[in-house]
Amino acid sequence: MSNVVVCRGLSRVYTSNAVPVHALQDVDFDVAEGDFVSLSGPSGSGKSTLLNLIGALDRPTAGRVTVDGVDLATLSDPQLADLRLTKIGFVFQAYNLVPVLSARENVEFIMQLQGIHASERRERALEILHALGIGELAERRPGELSGGQQQRVAVARAVVTRPALLLADEPSANLDSKTTETLLELLRRINLERGVTIVTATHDPIVIRYARRSVQLKDGRIVADARTAAANA
Amino acid sequence: MPLLLLSRLGWRNLWRYRRRNLMLFTAIMVAVAGCVLISALIRGYQYDMMDDAIDNLTGNLKVLAPGYRADPSIARGFRVPPAFAPDVPPAELVGWTERVRVPAVVISERETRGVTLIGIDPAEERAISFLGSVAIRGDALAGPDDGRILLGRELARQLDTDVGRRIVVMTQGADGRNREAGFRVAGLYDAAGTAIEKAYAFTGIRPFQALLGTDAVTEISVRLRDDEFGPHADAELRKDLSGLEVLDWRTLEPQAAAMFQLADAAILIWFVVLLLALAFGLVNTLITAVLERVREFGMLRALGMRRGAIVAQVVIESVLIVLAGLAVGIAVGLALVAYFSAGIDLSRWAAGIELAGMRNKLVPHLMWHDVAAVGSLAVALGLFASAYPAWRAVRIEPLDALRR
Repeated sequence: MSNVVVCRGLSRVYTSNAVPVHALQDVDFDVAEGDFVSLSGPSGSGKSTLLNLIGALDRPTAGRVTVDGVDLATLSDPQLADLRLTKIGFVFQAYNLVPVLSARENVEFIMQLQGIHASERRERALEILHALGIGELAERRPGELSGGQQQRVAVARAVVTRPALLLADEPSANLDSKTTETLLELLRRINLERGVTIVTATHDPIVIRYARRSVQLKDGRIVADARTAAANA
Repeated sequence: MPLLLLSRLGWRNLWRYRRRNLMLFTAIMVAVAGCVLISALIRGYQYDMMDDAIDNLTGNLKVLAPGYRADPSIARGFRVPPAFAPDVPPAELVGWTERVRVPAVVISERETRGVTLIGIDPAEERAISFLGSVAIRGDALAGPDDGRILLGRELARQLDTDVGRRIVVMTQGADGRNREAGFRVAGLYDAAGTAIEKAYAFTGIRPFQALLGTDAVTEISVRLRDDEFGPHADAELRKDLSGLEVLDWRTLEPQAAAMFQLADAAILIWFVVLLLALAFGLVNTLITAVLERVREFGMLRALGMRRGAIVAQVVIESVLIVLAGLAVGIAVGLALVAYFSAGIDLSRWAAGIELAGMRNKLVPHLMWHDVAAVGSLAVALGLFASAYPAWRAVRIEPLDALRR
């Protein structure tokens, strides 16, 4: 199976109060197509930094990132935006839905940016919302939805365009444990049934349990990388 | 660029910050309505001034002999070719007339005054000058052969004379010798200002020519329906009457022409100052809107929206609110112009307004190109005002925004 993500010699140094902070140090990291990987570690371990570099939201100080065969270092700013639009789905901790659009319109949003025809957009958005169990909430705006429902809409938005990679940054941070379990079941289904590759940065042990591969970071380095029990389930 | 999506987002964001945008909308609406009304009032004043200048025996165009303006005597008269008529389409021509206009001294039993005495064809004159609209006590002149005199009410007061009384007129004849004749006062006209009443006295053109010993005239005055047609009529007159001067009202009434131009500038300055003041409010509101939505813009960028689309979103929101304020503002402005269409009575300040060359009643005069100028300036303002907020929005890095 080929790798959707390939990171080589990845380093990221920030400057905080004129002091260099090594958020990531010489990391080699691959993600195979169809895998479900959790990145965990204490605060400041570099998991979100790694996720942001893979998601083309940040550029490394050293090293290279390749996503679905594309070397991100070779891309201009608009090309990176296009890559995020076409190859990567994002699920954020704070849902980050567009407040003035309904759930359906939020799901259609990426497709609209991609130029997909209105009727197809609508059909695919309703299909995914129904598949995620929130079809009846399609015309509600984010402010009228619970946190769990909003996160499902965010997942629907992220996967509706069938991206090569789904990146989730602390997706359960604002959810209770029951809703977290429901969300993770959903992500597992998407991973298994739709073959979407998932990489998630998390503190949450429940998330780590659902992933098929657990990668632990500390002080900007990978300190453990193992298949989990879920990989054999 | 998904303009439909951005327009929908822009429109809904206007309703999202309802109270703030309502205030901004109201400010734009009031400013635009004010621009429409004020420009119509300034145009009303401007065109009153032009009409007064043209009405005041000037016409849109006047034909004179060279040198007459410096020495307005019958010696500078000219003969009109037989069967002459201005070569102007009837639809563009209000009327035209020949006049004999010379300085004269008018003597009553008690007083003597210097005036401009004008020999006219009353029927033609009434069609093209203020004589057609003034009130007359006594008789109007009956025709070009009427040998009586028509005085201004103020001049009659100064001469201490009245309708039916006789006065003596002294002037210089075509041969350079003085002529003197008695005239019976036919009537007294009541013009808008006393300056005109003191300056001009009228009599029938033929007896006046006989008195002066000539069949020449000193001027031909042409009144057009639309001043824009002036240059064409000017060229035709020059062709037909070579050797004579053809002058438009701007040359003959330079002060009125200068005021006319000043009104154009006043309207432009008014528009720019008002809309520029509004621009600061718009910039302030848009910057606040951008700063409140840093996370949202960051998220949109993270999802793959290009910088150009972010700029477009801010610009569209700005233009949408300007367009909404503009549309309602123009409607309100037009309603106000319609409301004041009978004119605003300024007679309470009669002394001051005569000095300013205004009439007692200021009637708004709507010009669609002014409305178009307000519209264009307002849209340009929307684009201009959104530039800085859009620049702020586009500088938002998705990662920094999402960390907030």
